Amino acid sequence: MKNIITIIKKDLKMEFRKRESLTSMLFFGILVLVILNIAIGTGQKIAPSISGGILWVAIIFSAVLGLDRVFSNEKENRCIDGLLLSPIEPETIFIAKMTVNFIFMIIAEIILIPTFLVLYNSAVSFENLPMFIAIIMLLNLGFSSVGTLLSAISSGTSRNDIMLPILLFPILIPLIAATVKATSELLSGSGVDKYLSWLYLTMAFDFIFFGSSYLLFEHVIKEG
Amino acid sequence: MKTLVSITAALFLAAIYLIFFYTPTEAVMGLVQKIFYFHLPLAFTSFFSFFLAFICGILYLVKKDAKWDLYSACSVEIGVVLTTLVLITGSLWARPIWNTWWTWDPRLTTALILWLIYVAYLILRMSIEQEGKRASFCAVMAIIGFVDVPIVFFSARLWRTIHPVVIEKGKINLAPSMKLSLLLAMIAFFALWAILFRIRSQTLFLNARIKKLNNKLLEEA
Repeated sequence: MKNIITIIKKDLKMEFRKRESLTSMLFFGILVLVILNIAIGTGQKIAPSISGGILWVAIIFSAVLGLDRVFSNEKENRCIDGLLLSPIEPETIFIAKMTVNFIFMIIAEIILIPTFLVLYNSAVSFENLPMFIAIIMLLNLGFSSVGTLLSAISSGTSRNDIMLPILLFPILIPLIAATVKATSELLSGSGVDKYLSWLYLTMAFDFIFFGSSYLLFEHVIKEG
Repeated sequence: MKTLVSITAALFLAAIYLIFFYTPTEAVMGLVQKIFYFHLPLAFTSFFSFFLAFICGILYLVKKDAKWDLYSACSVEIGVVLTTLVLITGSLWARPIWNTWWTWDPRLTTALILWLIYVAYLILRMSIEQEGKRASFCAVMAIIGFVDVPIVFFSARLWRTIHPVVIEKGKINLAPSMKLSLLLAMIAFFALWAILFRIRSQTLFLNARIKKLNNKLLEEA
């Protein structure tokens, strides 16, 4: 537990000194929101069934940028060797890196979601807010667990920046589809019962992929 | 190997004869329905390939023996080719019957996403040079790719389905003559699969050996 916190602190400190990941994540996310708004046509009322998808496209694309940095940072000057030599289990590294990524995603979402609500004239009512946060957290959990595993893989290849989305997006399709469906229902003001089955699906995804990523991470990081 | 090839050729000829001359033409769909005798065996063998890749991936991570990696790789390669054919034959059939090339039905969606996942696997394989690393990374990808399949299927099923259900709870909804043709086509395709697997895995083994000998020569020089 102490080790996890140490790694998280190190990564966050690094990020807040250089502000590399978060700046590009936020800027890119806002860029996607603006471009898609223009592509659909400004001045039109966009239905929640479409805007729910746009929100998650923006968040997923910006989150991939942050994910890419998590291990390529360690590759510079071969810091990863030091991390592996230290008496820390690979599983601990996995949890720590996953948490860092989770935190980055939340920070990005805190900016991106209000921007989205303004640009797309959407609103989340106060009583829907807890469910909205639950949807967001479920996606973040699934994304950061399988994302951490695959970013460890992609950082070990010769084309690491393009490998990550190629590997990650096909795996994430069911999670994204379920989250988009749930968000669209929520934004159009439906009750929980309308999208509960989608939430169960995201929970199943999170559970299965957290487990398999946790178990497989050791094999990946030792080869890196 | 030669006998296997000739048996497979005979099986295919027999299957084609049964499909076009023995089984009656389907009442509603007409001649287009014949594509089904190729579509279903292709789907079965492609799914079987990915399952095998998943098993070989686990075996590689447990035993760290390079042969499991090569088996896994050639299963995925064959699987991707077969899935491509599944998607093409399905589209050809869907155009006259469903009046659309493509629809987001659970089985179609699952097949397409499987195709995407395993093409990503092949791209990953191309971009790594060191053998040990490549084997581990690809094994991990083969495992999580296959783990994704049930989730993909259930997520797509939350939308409605229009795919004809031919096999359901142990019984097959087909006329007996159609069943026979399908069975023969299935056996023929699995025999073809075995040939492809044999040839491809031999090539990969030889490749690995050449690389090893090459490295040895370089060391000595």
